[in-house]
Amino acid sequence: MNSQIAERPIEILIVDDNPGDVRLTAEALKDSKVQNRLHTAQDGMEAIAFLRRKGEYADAPLPDLILLDLNMPRMNGSQLLAKVKEDSALKNIPVVILTGSREIDDIIKANNLRADYYVTKPIDLEEFIMAVKSIVDSLLNQREIAGGGGVIG
Amino acid sequence: MSKISKLDKRIANPEVMAGEIQQSEELFRILFYSSPIGTYIIQDGDFQLVNHGLARILGYEEDELIGRPSLSFVLAEDRDAVRENAVRMLKGGCSLGYEFRVVNKQAKIKWVMETVVPIYYRTKRATLGSLIDVTERKQMEERLKQITAELQHSNTELEQFAYVISHDLQEPLRMVSSYTQLLAKRYSDKLDNDADEFIAYAVDGSKRMQSLLHDLLEYSRVGTRGKPFSLVNCEHIVEQAIANLKIAIEECEASVSYDVLPTIMGDEGQLVRLFQNLISNAIKFRREEAPQVHISAKRMNYIVTFSVKDNGIGIDPQHSQSIFEIFRRLHTIEEYPGTGMGLAICKKIVERHGGHISVQSQPGQGSTFYFSVNTAGGEPA
Repeated sequence: MNSQIAERPIEILIVDDNPGDVRLTAEALKDSKVQNRLHTAQDGMEAIAFLRRKGEYADAPLPDLILLDLNMPRMNGSQLLAKVKEDSALKNIPVVILTGSREIDDIIKANNLRADYYVTKPIDLEEFIMAVKSIVDSLLNQREIAGGGGVIG
Repeated sequence: MSKISKLDKRIANPEVMAGEIQQSEELFRILFYSSPIGTYIIQDGDFQLVNHGLARILGYEEDELIGRPSLSFVLAEDRDAVRENAVRMLKGGCSLGYEFRVVNKQAKIKWVMETVVPIYYRTKRATLGSLIDVTERKQMEERLKQITAELQHSNTELEQFAYVISHDLQEPLRMVSSYTQLLAKRYSDKLDNDADEFIAYAVDGSKRMQSLLHDLLEYSRVGTRGKPFSLVNCEHIVEQAIANLKIAIEECEASVSYDVLPTIMGDEGQLVRLFQNLISNAIKFRREEAPQVHISAKRMNYIVTFSVKDNGIGIDPQHSQSIFEIFRRLHTIEEYPGTGMGLAICKKIVERHGGHISVQSQPGQGSTFYFSVNTAGGEPA
């Protein structure tokens, strides 16, 4: 199983309207040595189209992990998260909230929305890399315990 | 005895008595007609007797007022209240300093303050009233209210401004900081020494600005994001503050002790922060010897005064006010790191709890910080 998991890079969908943040997450993933393919959606509407393979996303893979910014135009992060968790085809995809804010209110909101993880956008780059790596590692561990089926598809 | 005998003498001498009555009447007449205080008698709702003072306040001649219903001079909206007050006065015996509005002959509205007592006049029930013009005072009060409201509004706006600024500036700064850190991580030793140094300064600067903004945000949150007051046990608060500082306390082998502390009304999170900042300072600004911090409290009526005493480096009394200002530091960052916001945050928390904060200290002889909390008043609006 282990070798099979290592063979395929994990598919990550990042939903964030700030290109600087998207790139930074990409770099953090690169530094964390996680084999991955990163897909980007600029807001909730685009993310839903990607997840439901609408239009130009007809061939899009179902992601193993969603990284989600809360503060976006059109459909925001909380609205998207609610939609994902309501959808039986999507609800098992782990969602990580990425936010620039350390506001308790936001954390509580994320918990209410049943986000799987919560990461504060980096004050310290190393911290951020560690956080991303530990989430991906725990994701891979869960898949392994479950027989690796989820990742391998 | 002597009074009775005097009276006896007057009765005995009708001429003397008549003279005294005349004198007393004269005195009353002068007082009544020359007093600037509006004085009058109302019977069956109409003015029976008025003085010049009242006529001047209402803008009429005295004889224009006689026989006219007194209520007709009261502003229409205030008439019911004035009528009700008159009824209360009849039951209670008198009415002191009742305020309402009148309309004068020039149709100008004036605020007046009236005192009335029930009397008998020409063998019938009547009201003796006196009245002064308080328009100016009322206008000042209104102006003061308005200014206070304006100040509160601008204060709230400023707090909101500081909050938004410190919150929103963090986003772009995070970009600067993250990417300079990434540059440092990927390219140190690949460029020359100058480049490494420049990048290091940029990383330091952006990290420092992040902590300044972080603390500024916390400072503005004291006013804008405070929680409603509830009953809090200060011993639990201090224990929580000590737990938050566990590592720092252990590292310098500090001892932190406290007396029996009261339960007060306050914002729990903010009070933990307050004690935490004071204890943390007591440990940070230490001398060679292990820091000793002691917390106690005294209650006087509704005011509880806490003290946080240490054996640290002390503070020159000339700085005892300025240390509570925002971003105020007395040392270089190399000597003692920090943003200089800790005590400013303390001051703001104490003021939100209706108290004051101060310090007593001499260089080299430790410091004692005192702060009070008003346990009677609720949270300020």
